[in-house]
Amino acid sequence: MDEEVRLMKGNEAIAHAAIRYGYDGYFGYPITPQSEVLETLEAEMPWEKTGMVVLQAESEVAAINMIYGGAASGKAVMTSSSSPGISLKMEGISYIAASELPAVILNVMRGGPGLGTIQPSQADYFQATKGGGHGDYRLIVLSPASVQEMADFVGLAKDLAFKYCNPVMILADGIVGQMMEKVVLPPYHPRRTDEEVRQQCPWAANGKGGRKQRNIITSLELDPSKMEVNNERFQATYKKIEENEVRYEEFMCDDAEYLIVAFGTVARICRKAIEEMRARGIKIGLIRPITLWPFPTKAIEELSKRVKGMLCVELNAGQMIEDVKLAVDGRVPVYHFGRMGGIVPTPDEVEAAFQKDFPEAENK
Amino acid sequence: MSTQDIIKEGNKVYERPRLLTENITHYCPGCAHGVVHKLVAEVIDDLGLEDKTIGISPVGCSVFAYNYIDVDWVEAAHGRATAVATAISRLNPDKVVFTYQGDGDLAAIGTAETIHAANRGENIVIVFINNAIYGMTGGQMAPTTLIGQKTSTTPYGRRADLNGFPIKIADILAQLDGTCYVTRQQVYNPAGVRKTKAALKKAFQNALAKKGTSIVEVVSNCPSGWKMTPEKANEWLKEHMTEKYPLGDIKDTDGVNK
Repeated sequence: MDEEVRLMKGNEAIAHAAIRYGYDGYFGYPITPQSEVLETLEAEMPWEKTGMVVLQAESEVAAINMIYGGAASGKAVMTSSSSPGISLKMEGISYIAASELPAVILNVMRGGPGLGTIQPSQADYFQATKGGGHGDYRLIVLSPASVQEMADFVGLAKDLAFKYCNPVMILADGIVGQMMEKVVLPPYHPRRTDEEVRQQCPWAANGKGGRKQRNIITSLELDPSKMEVNNERFQATYKKIEENEVRYEEFMCDDAEYLIVAFGTVARICRKAIEEMRARGIKIGLIRPITLWPFPTKAIEELSKRVKGMLCVELNAGQMIEDVKLAVDGRVPVYHFGRMGGIVPTPDEVEAAFQKDFPEAENK
Repeated sequence: MSTQDIIKEGNKVYERPRLLTENITHYCPGCAHGVVHKLVAEVIDDLGLEDKTIGISPVGCSVFAYNYIDVDWVEAAHGRATAVATAISRLNPDKVVFTYQGDGDLAAIGTAETIHAANRGENIVIVFINNAIYGMTGGQMAPTTLIGQKTSTTPYGRRADLNGFPIKIADILAQLDGTCYVTRQQVYNPAGVRKTKAALKKAFQNALAKKGTSIVEVVSNCPSGWKMTPEKANEWLKEHMTEKYPLGDIKDTDGVNK
């Protein structure tokens, strides 16, 4: 089946893309604002089309451990949730990372902390990029800004997860989960046969099946000298990922004197603000990190050498700004503008925040 | 009869199970884990399932079960073995998946996963070792610890008013429509070992035939945690444990009607 142009929600696009990109299984648990992922998958009945397994688990904890099991047997698996549910998954994510398994986790962020709100947020940036679970591990974190990227990143996340044997998180905000847009769904990729799984994942615990050695998936190693070696191996993988997988988008940066840094759908709000400010003669551009980890540190460092200041716009109290400041290293002022608790700013509010922080830009 | 005569192949009545690895176990003297490991290894071999079996080890004393039985293994987070098993079984329907769990793992932290996997009738085997104590962490109270039983967190004995009651999880699981076979066995004497092996065999055959969830509880001992000699521990088990946890089949059906 060929690619198909549809109008749908980001959450629905995730579900269709998972089927079309040849995922073997999805295990999830309902939580607003991402329940359409599970609902769409159940309605599509992919087990009858591609053989993909879909299961509503009894909890987010069970779902992430199902992902751990599925990945341990070499299968392409995915789970999704929203902020409070992702907190519950953190232990399992740490196990998946420590066991060097490929898995994809979608977080459609809502406002927190606690039960918080069901409205959009980006307040899980720290959790996604700095750990969240225990131990020294890293997730590859992709930040979609459109329904199209929601669909595309389901494929990209799967490829990256298997390339590095590392979990990948798609860190979406509630806006992109819920809004409807035109999306080009990919053509159907066939699921791997069991033989292909055995070839691609010779480490998988899927039955010895003629192998001489048994495969064991475990994160346990009581000998600290061996556990340190394991950690060194993880860090070497993370270094490779940092070298190869940084992704970002620039908008009107070539002649920019000022810069907005924003990720996800907030970047689209900022684009509108930038267009309005450009119309008034302010030379301002946007850099949108697409991978939040690995972070586009070098790109921001380079830009900081030729702009006068930066404004980070986020749906939180100021999280990504810490990574931006590390990249800028004090060369130019970096300010934060954020709304919290599920409130989304307008382009006018972004503009007003910029004017407050950089009045000299306006007076020029 | 000379030694040479005795060790002739024709006289062989017992040998180390082929699928039991030669790794030295970390279990304490007198512990029943070794016996149950041996039986699981024998049953997998007897049924010709070496190439298609995946075991899920728990957190607890048997966390290292993967070192001792020569099949593929996945080590689960504490309590999550049946969730892990669910996905492996569903994604690899031609394979046989079993979990090997203790009482704390299965009936405390993992109660939800245990009940829901069994309630879905996952085609898996749950081997449940009930020794009424947390052995690995140093002998703390388990959900199955008997009233009056001393542990490091019930130093004056378990009290119902403070600690609640010992849970009979196998009886709860037997109530669920997804379970096809629930049995409680022991391995403190040869008759019990033979019955436990037969129970395990039936459970693995059920999984192979996709009959739903099978649970084999083994009422077991913990000489170290109970602070008894192996012999005393088995006597105590016989006298006290089997009173609360009576032996025999709790449920035995032809299979779950899904």
